[in-house]
Amino acid sequence: MNPAEIDTPVLIIGGGVAGLSAAVELSRRGLASTVVEREAAPGGRAGEFCCKAVAACARCGACRLGDLLAEAAARPEITLHTAALVTSAEQKDGLWTVELSPQPAGDDAPGPGAPLGERCSLTTGAVILAVGGQVFDPAGKSRFAHGRVEGVHSALELEAMLAMGAIGPGAMAPAKVAFIQCVGSRDAAGGRPWCSRVCCGYALRMARVIRHRLPETEVTFFHMDVQDYGRAWEEELPSLKEDIRFVRAMPGEVTAGEQGPRVVFAGPEGAPVSEGFDLVILSVGIGPPNGAGSLHELFGAAPDQDGFLAEEGPDGLFVAGAAAGPRSLNESITHAGLAASRAAARVGALLEAARG
Amino acid sequence: MRLNDCDPGFKHQVAAEPGGEGIRVCFGCAACSARCPVGANRPEYDPRRIIRAALLGRREEVLASPLIWLCSSCYTCGEVCPQGVRFTDVLTAIKNIAARAGHAPPSARITAELLAKQGRLLEVTEFENDKRAELGLPPVEQRPHDFQSILGLEPPPEGGEGEGA
Repeated sequence: MNPAEIDTPVLIIGGGVAGLSAAVELSRRGLASTVVEREAAPGGRAGEFCCKAVAACARCGACRLGDLLAEAAARPEITLHTAALVTSAEQKDGLWTVELSPQPAGDDAPGPGAPLGERCSLTTGAVILAVGGQVFDPAGKSRFAHGRVEGVHSALELEAMLAMGAIGPGAMAPAKVAFIQCVGSRDAAGGRPWCSRVCCGYALRMARVIRHRLPETEVTFFHMDVQDYGRAWEEELPSLKEDIRFVRAMPGEVTAGEQGPRVVFAGPEGAPVSEGFDLVILSVGIGPPNGAGSLHELFGAAPDQDGFLAEEGPDGLFVAGAAAGPRSLNESITHAGLAASRAAARVGALLEAARG
Repeated sequence: MRLNDCDPGFKHQVAAEPGGEGIRVCFGCAACSARCPVGANRPEYDPRRIIRAALLGRREEVLASPLIWLCSSCYTCGEVCPQGVRFTDVLTAIKNIAARAGHAPPSARITAELLAKQGRLLEVTEFENDKRAELGLPPVEQRPHDFQSILGLEPPPEGGEGEGA
């Protein structure tokens, strides 16, 4: 291996929170990296999330993207190509050579980073796959009527509505809001047996934001189990249970009523009841990244049992963030730090070996 | 409820019956109850409550309950179950245990007698076979012997199971 062959010590695929965090962590260690983002702008999913603070910060991590983008732009060790797609990857003598192809970027792609100009090939000591997970498409659970009944939205759509101020005093003020948990998670029959880990947290936080903005609004939380975790929730759940109606019953369907969507669920006596709401929010889960199959093929990485990117892959290949399994923003940042640390050790060992 | 009244082995007995193994993976989300057409008409019929009672080992209460015989076998519960539990089949397992324990209601006995006599619940008459002939379908016969041998009412016929089924 000749170190002169290396174009960039570490190549990071994906410019979301995980990819940017890995790049910043490498930069702190004095290592240069190249981040490749498929879309015209970096940021990934985190850019669509709303701040969930009420009286105090809810530690949801949505604001950390802004800091990361600014930090990535300010660090000269980080090169960011947007609108770029990986078309091939080959490993030889311990080094990866990855070909990139430009994608249509639009006229005014926001920075940081610049659209990839032309096809190019980069040789690197380590690759970090940070392509994120795929949010479940609620059309896959047609009985919950997303796209069919007005007033039914995915939680991702609610994030945007709350971020834009579309719900609150002077805007939309629903009298009754329902959250339905585990849409595309804990669904062995649907081929998705895993818990997506973040949905109880984001749903309860957004429920609290709605109650904070609109104290008259009643919020119902339909769930199988509350699978939230962490220190804060043990303290906060009792007060949340006073503020929000917790119903431990997975609804069977959402139907169209005259006043809006209706949720059919096993009522307190066990028999099915139908209750009307103004808004029904489907708490969609996180699945394997879109195109995971082609990433497995390109890099020779094995999928894990659920189709996420397995963390044990060929030498010099690392995975960061939700591509390896459902993770919150904060967990993705931590996980990316681990991948960066491993990649740095790998590159250090390669250079050490080259020096003999 | 007293713990001493519970039989922790009951769920294993249900799981050991054909179709009963689904009881092992239920996590009680009540999607089944939400869609049950029987529950919509008989509020006391609640699939989640039945499976929960079985899991808790409330053996006598489950086996003696008249509710377990109300299932219409529409399988909607199985359609919506995230865990792939076929509650209809779990309930069949429970009903088989109940029947062996002498809890079968008169209607179940009448059903069994009809099957033993006719080989099917509805008697086949010329009317059915005329209709089938109009549709180009072969006639059906009453074949009570298959069921009689299944029910142990007479020895199986010579040369194997059934009558050339």
